Amino acid sequence: MTGRAGARPRRSGRVRPVRPVVPLVSCVAVLLGWGLVAHNSGAGWVQAVGDVVAGVLAVGLVAPAVVVRRATLAVLGVPADGTAGLPLEVPVKAGTRLRVRPLDPPGPEAFVGPHHVPAGTAGGEPGGTEYLTLLPARRGVYPAITLEIATAAPFGLLWWRRAVVVELSRQLYVRPRLGRPVALPVGRHDTAGDGDLRAPVQVGEPRGMRPYRPGDLRRWVHWPGTAHSGELMVRDMEGPTAEPVTVEVRLPAEPEAAERAAERALGTVVALVDRGTPVVLATTEPDGPNVGAVGDRRTAGRRLARAVAEPEPTPWR
Amino acid sequence: MAVTILDAVRRANRPGPPEHSVTLRVACAGAVVAGIAACRAEGELSWTVAGATTVLVVAGMGLSYATRRRPLPWVKPILAGAALVAFVWFFRQLTGHTVYDVSTVEDPLAVLFVWVQVAHAFDVPARRDLAFSLAGSASLMAVAAAQAIDIGFGVYVLCWLAFGIVGLLAMWSSASEGGRVGAAGLVATSVAVLVTATAVLVVLPAPHVAGKIDYPANAGPGAPLPVPGGLAGDGRVTQLAQPGSPAGPSRVGGYLGFANHLDTALRGALGDTVVMRVRAERPSYWVGETFDDWDGADWTVAPSPDASQQLTSGSPFVIPGGAGASGADSDLQTFYVVQSSPNLVFHADTAREVWFPARDLYASAGDAIVSPIALGPGAIYTVQSVVDTPSPTQLRGTAGPADDPAGVRGRYLELPHAYARAEALALSVTARSPDTYDKVQDLIAWIGAHTRYSTDIPPLAPGQDTVDEFLFGNRTGFCEQISTALAVMLRSIGIPVREAVGYVPGPYDPITDLYDIQARDAHAWVQVWFPGYGWQSFDPTAVVPLANPSPGSTIAHEAAHILGSLPWVPIGAVLGVVLVAAVVRRRRARRPRTWAERAARSIETAGRRAGRPRADGETLSEYAAALDAAAGDRSGTWRTMAAVVEASAYGGHDPAPEEARRLLASLRAMRGTVPRRRRRAQAPIGAAGELTPVGRPAPRRSSPPPRAGDGSPSAGAAG
Repeated sequence: MTGRAGARPRRSGRVRPVRPVVPLVSCVAVLLGWGLVAHNSGAGWVQAVGDVVAGVLAVGLVAPAVVVRRATLAVLGVPADGTAGLPLEVPVKAGTRLRVRPLDPPGPEAFVGPHHVPAGTAGGEPGGTEYLTLLPARRGVYPAITLEIATAAPFGLLWWRRAVVVELSRQLYVRPRLGRPVALPVGRHDTAGDGDLRAPVQVGEPRGMRPYRPGDLRRWVHWPGTAHSGELMVRDMEGPTAEPVTVEVRLPAEPEAAERAAERALGTVVALVDRGTPVVLATTEPDGPNVGAVGDRRTAGRRLARAVAEPEPTPWR
Repeated sequence: MAVTILDAVRRANRPGPPEHSVTLRVACAGAVVAGIAACRAEGELSWTVAGATTVLVVAGMGLSYATRRRPLPWVKPILAGAALVAFVWFFRQLTGHTVYDVSTVEDPLAVLFVWVQVAHAFDVPARRDLAFSLAGSASLMAVAAAQAIDIGFGVYVLCWLAFGIVGLLAMWSSASEGGRVGAAGLVATSVAVLVTATAVLVVLPAPHVAGKIDYPANAGPGAPLPVPGGLAGDGRVTQLAQPGSPAGPSRVGGYLGFANHLDTALRGALGDTVVMRVRAERPSYWVGETFDDWDGADWTVAPSPDASQQLTSGSPFVIPGGAGASGADSDLQTFYVVQSSPNLVFHADTAREVWFPARDLYASAGDAIVSPIALGPGAIYTVQSVVDTPSPTQLRGTAGPADDPAGVRGRYLELPHAYARAEALALSVTARSPDTYDKVQDLIAWIGAHTRYSTDIPPLAPGQDTVDEFLFGNRTGFCEQISTALAVMLRSIGIPVREAVGYVPGPYDPITDLYDIQARDAHAWVQVWFPGYGWQSFDPTAVVPLANPSPGSTIAHEAAHILGSLPWVPIGAVLGVVLVAAVVRRRRARRPRTWAERAARSIETAGRRAGRPRADGETLSEYAAALDAAAGDRSGTWRTMAAVVEASAYGGHDPAPEEARRLLASLRAMRGTVPRRRRRAQAPIGAAGELTPVGRPAPRRSSPPPRAGDGSPSAGAAG
């Protein structure tokens, strides 16, 4: 397995056949029947043609193992971030026609590699870059992706497969889904507790532009910037300094529960960030506790992608 | 567990997704049709059945393709019923009939397979079903190959393999959504298939007919002869190979010796036509009959009470004398008659059993086995012979004249008259040999050293003796003269001998595993009686050199024979197709792909014809400017044309089609406007040996030119 853009092969599994019983039994039956005719007739032509048939069947059964063993698949770049449950397109290029199924993260199988595109049909250029869809089910950090490649070339008699692990040039962060935020803390001036209901306020010096978010007032729209960028932009003013909110995330050991907790945490952080509230996120990562400010969805997503459950305390002996 | 198995069966039989590949369907249909054609070629299907099933297979495949997304529900029950009817028909063909031989089973088997394929063709919506069709075509080819005995069957094999390989490649392409095997992959695959096939061929033993079914025997178009057990020359028997000539319509030529007499003066024109094919465990001299009575010109079979014994046991016939033969090995031979043949059952010594498609057979005292029916093309019979070849040491130790069963000495020592000279010659040659075997070998060696082989010998004069003429006359002859001379010499010194005629093994075909016996392989040799061992064959012709041997002619003859036996029509057709394809491909590669390329080539052609080819690295504009200069065209017509071409090639500004055509026409018309370049004239050599321009005398030199730094004043120097 080769890779470009730093996607280096690390290790690969054994080559194994896919559901070999029916093809093997069929081929053996054909050869046995042929041998029976040869034995009973004693005809030289039967043996001569039977030898060629045996050669074709043998090549059809064994050649795919050789092809899949020598197959080349290059992963051309990987997105830096993804979201659990949402598809992720990864450009790949194969030297031969392969059926590829992502295993980790999972995804639907697809055919990649040189192929013939019939005239008049829509499709990518034969031999060009193709895309593999990853569908990560859970959040996490992926330094490598595991793919299962399979082929039955040249005769399509028996499929052989092999699992390969492709190291990525940069880690793929899969953030959790945006969950429902927990009850947010009340703002400093929100003595009535209706801070959520108030319209957003912009005070202070202008500090730039940002894309429009639902809730922004129409008078904040920056028309020149909008015309220039093609996207609705609003003035971003310095907001009142607020006390940071610390979001402490303690994930349970059970993966599904941890996933739900991470989703809620992300939703909470994003809601706070969107409100302009500085957020300090406290998580436990494989290297240990990590406490730090997060200013945007991406950073929060990455922190939560790395988060793990707290280790069980070591009992005293 | 039962539910699981049932679920697995249901899952396996679940209809697959519809197959949309037309290539795969055409290939599968082609493979099945090739199998049908092969069966028809081997006579296992009638023209009606072959034609009807071909049409039905194609129609069925088309219907399956049209209804692949929604197979018609009522088709399956009808097809199941049709298949059932075919099986019932097949078993009815077998019941009530004796399974006489393999061909009895193979013909109805081929019909059954074909009808199953036809039924299957109407219900192949998915790829898996088409794969079964391909596998089914293999069964048709196997049944046809079981009957094939000549190399021409290879055409059907190649067609079927081509369709099969294309079908398999199309199957992969369909399964992989457009995957293709590149040229390198095809080459690697072909090599792998050939290597594997060769390895299997080497490892597997040679095909061997199973002993559980009757050996092949087929009467072919044989008809009963009016004189049962008789040969040509016996009254009303007319069935015999006729002598032919190169100018004859058949050019076959038949050996006249396969009759009730052998005229040693006649041979006939024996051609290269294959008269029969033999599958045997080892090459042998296949005896047709033997003669014991020599009259100086002809061999005949002396009349005797036990001349011919009718065998009425039915197939397999046990040959008298052969049943008692003892031998460690046996040789099973199957003879496939290709041309009309004499009604002789050829066999290797000593025949023990004969599988022959007749109620009776005739065995003569001379070891000839005579058929009651004429043997025409398609006739098949099988002989099992006992192989009992004693060693020279054993033959040297044979008993003396006291061992004389059934009057062997009396019958096989007779001569029409005293051959005094032949006897004296034989005695002188064998003076030092004490036993029969050595005497025979000495005489054979003498014949090999003192005679020559040729079929072109002058005819005998009336009353002339063949042996005297051969031994003491021209000493040139063919197998009949040579073997007869040996026989006469042996008889003259008291050794019982008879003349045997038959066929020698022809060329062996490793694919069909058959010996191709040609008409010219007819041969005559001698059999010498050894007490305790019976008749032993000796071939004196084998040691006789050709009358005009030359290595070159021999090599040329062999090469011509090999070249002549190649199937030139299919080879030529394939070479022709490959050549045409290569020429077309080369022309297409050279053909200009774009308008700009055509225009550029037109400009280059004009310049080349004018003697100004385009230099390497010269742009089209520069080249066009040079052409304008050569043509004296200040308006720069060529440059203008070149600018348009370059704008099209590099700028993407293609002119309108009509304008492009006008431009090309203009370029063609302007080709003659550039004048041809003249070569510069060479100046003559001057008297002083220097090259001088014409009209100017060579400069004189009265003193050597001054050297710098020598102090001498130079001309013109300031004082």
